[in-house]
Amino acid sequence: MSSKAPLFTNTKCECGHQNPVGTVLCEACGKPLEEKEAESSENLEMRYDGVARRSQRVNPGIIDRVWNFFSSVKIAVYLIVLTLLGSMLGTILPQESTFLNIDASTYYKQEYGTAGDIYYKLGLSHTYESWWFVTLLVMIGASLVICSLDRVLPLYKALTRQKIRKHRQFLTRQKVVLVTEVQDDPETWVERVAGPLKKRGYRVKTDGGALLAEKHRFSRWGPYVIHIGLIIFLLAVLARGLPGLNMDQHLAFPQGEITQIPDTTFYLENKKFIVEFYTEEEMPEEFRGKKVLPKLYETQAVLYECTADCGDPSKKPQLNEVASHDIRVNSPLSYKGLKAYQFDYDLTPVLRSVQPELKDSRTGEVYGKFKLTMKNPERSFEAGPYTVTLKEKYMDFGLSDEGQPVSVSPYPNAPAFLFLITGPDLPAEGQQYFYFPKQVDKTKFQQTAINDKLGGGSRFLELEVGDMKDVDFSESTTYLNVRVDRAMPFIWVGAAIVMLGLVLGFYWQHRRVWLTVDDGVLTLGGHTNKNWFGFRREIVGVLGKVDMAVDEKTLDNGGGLA
Amino acid sequence: MGKARKPVQIIILFLIVLLGGYAIGSSVFGGDGKPKEGSTAPSFELLGLDGKSHTLDEYKGKAVVLNFWGSWCAPCVKEMPALQAQWEKWKDEGVVVVGVNVGEDQMTVENFVKLVDINFPIVMDPGRDAVRSYGISPMPTTFFINARGKVDSIHIGQLDLSTLDTQIGKLVKR
Repeated sequence: MSSKAPLFTNTKCECGHQNPVGTVLCEACGKPLEEKEAESSENLEMRYDGVARRSQRVNPGIIDRVWNFFSSVKIAVYLIVLTLLGSMLGTILPQESTFLNIDASTYYKQEYGTAGDIYYKLGLSHTYESWWFVTLLVMIGASLVICSLDRVLPLYKALTRQKIRKHRQFLTRQKVVLVTEVQDDPETWVERVAGPLKKRGYRVKTDGGALLAEKHRFSRWGPYVIHIGLIIFLLAVLARGLPGLNMDQHLAFPQGEITQIPDTTFYLENKKFIVEFYTEEEMPEEFRGKKVLPKLYETQAVLYECTADCGDPSKKPQLNEVASHDIRVNSPLSYKGLKAYQFDYDLTPVLRSVQPELKDSRTGEVYGKFKLTMKNPERSFEAGPYTVTLKEKYMDFGLSDEGQPVSVSPYPNAPAFLFLITGPDLPAEGQQYFYFPKQVDKTKFQQTAINDKLGGGSRFLELEVGDMKDVDFSESTTYLNVRVDRAMPFIWVGAAIVMLGLVLGFYWQHRRVWLTVDDGVLTLGGHTNKNWFGFRREIVGVLGKVDMAVDEKTLDNGGGLA
Repeated sequence: MGKARKPVQIIILFLIVLLGGYAIGSSVFGGDGKPKEGSTAPSFELLGLDGKSHTLDEYKGKAVVLNFWGSWCAPCVKEMPALQAQWEKWKDEGVVVVGVNVGEDQMTVENFVKLVDINFPIVMDPGRDAVRSYGISPMPTTFFINARGKVDSIHIGQLDLSTLDTQIGKLVKR
């Protein structure tokens, strides 16, 4: 490949055919063209049937040079090796994309020390998204396209325009050669041998005393089919970056709630989440008493699609049920390319609403009951003769540095409500009342003491939950991995095409036999792209049918390949 | 084939440069999808305290100071007076301060607004959609968006009166 062509090359063969620059074997008769090659007695270089690659030319311009760079198989091999080495770097430490919530700039240092920090700073924590890795992939893609084009077209031309009668040197310098005497008239002998060749699936063409038998040419296209598949594969991977084609989110769905899937018009309801654990007996000895292992976790999910008022936050979206599924590990909910996989769960109950009763602590009389939701509660309630107005609400009650009541987080960990109650036997401006729905908070923050202070010693109203039925919990939260990957069908198509190419190339061999009978001498040359052993056997078998006993080994013209 | 060769080569190389450029470009500049300084501020549609829905587009032509806050976040609470003061100072010069409340309900927000006595526009993001598209992690985070809708600078953490003043000053000049 690297041998430089001399300044003036006579590319015209003695058979009269004008060959393009870079041709190794005459396109017509197969005679070696270069003098050095013609004088040698080594086996012929049969790659691409000795034709010039498409881009080989005398005075390459810039475009030709770029083209030739990518057309080189040597470069392709270097690119592939570099990509392999680069990919290895990305496997040393877990990649950033495998974590859900980390700050990469500190995580690697904390977890892996200085080496981890260097790894992160070199950008290897996202190797496969780095510019140099993508560049390598793009260059491999370019090389695939250009290498294939440069070779497949000349090869196709060479194979469709094969001459039957070849130069004697072309025959005797194949890896399978037989030179022997025949008594018959050339044309008769050629006719006789054509029959058994055809029987073995060869397509036979004759030209007087010359014959060309060929089979399974299609196997030569195998590598190019593989390349087409790979290019589709690469393009599909590239297309995943386009908006709307790929999504991968990990989302929390509290039980009993409908939650929107961000960036889509879909909403998912977690109707019920169940988890079963392995019993002590089911677990191996070493886990007993130490580990709690879930046996099954399942989200009974319903998927809704928004049909109207979707983007407008001032309106309630109108939802239409489109799918439902009991999501388990490896059994996702699937709807039009959107998949929701079971990923994790959290069994911490979250308080959703309580229905306290307004009670007279002196008589025990219950005035009424109202529903108090943690999120967006109603502001005013009626309980018998009393009006209860919600004044303040703290989701996670605490005190600020200045001693003011504040919420320390937006999550309902320790909800607290400040009401103003008005009605009979109360001061005209009403009475304030602090209410902690959770029993543990009541004691912790001393609800009674606060209220005694707010309402004075004579207060007689209490808010209490009478029954556990009146407490609504979201028992658990399920975490789902919601994915859309619309490029996936193309990846499968690409992979299938690659497989097809592999099968074509592996399970069939392109076999050709040329022979001429001149002056009572049979000259036979044979070529295949692999399985020379089977090829020689086949020739021996064919010759046996025309009563010519040949030893398999004598067919071997050397060259080191089996 | 001989004559068409050059154009074919050029077309194929052009396609490779185009697709390759897109691939490499998106790996270099695409990043994690969070807006950076100089990138276009993501649009949002959120319910305001006034009961109407608001988008970033309606402030086009104005410099926007977009402040993400929560009533439980102490530094957010502390910077509110500074934001209010700067809102009063700059509102007649084409600057609008917009507070985005993160994940709380209307009552909490209303009470808070009354308590700290602010009157710049407040929108609510209960589903954390804007939080996601702006890539907010710690709070408060303030985005300074210029009149052309591009992110001019991002401030993470509590703002004081003077930095806020210089930032807005820069924003108006550009």
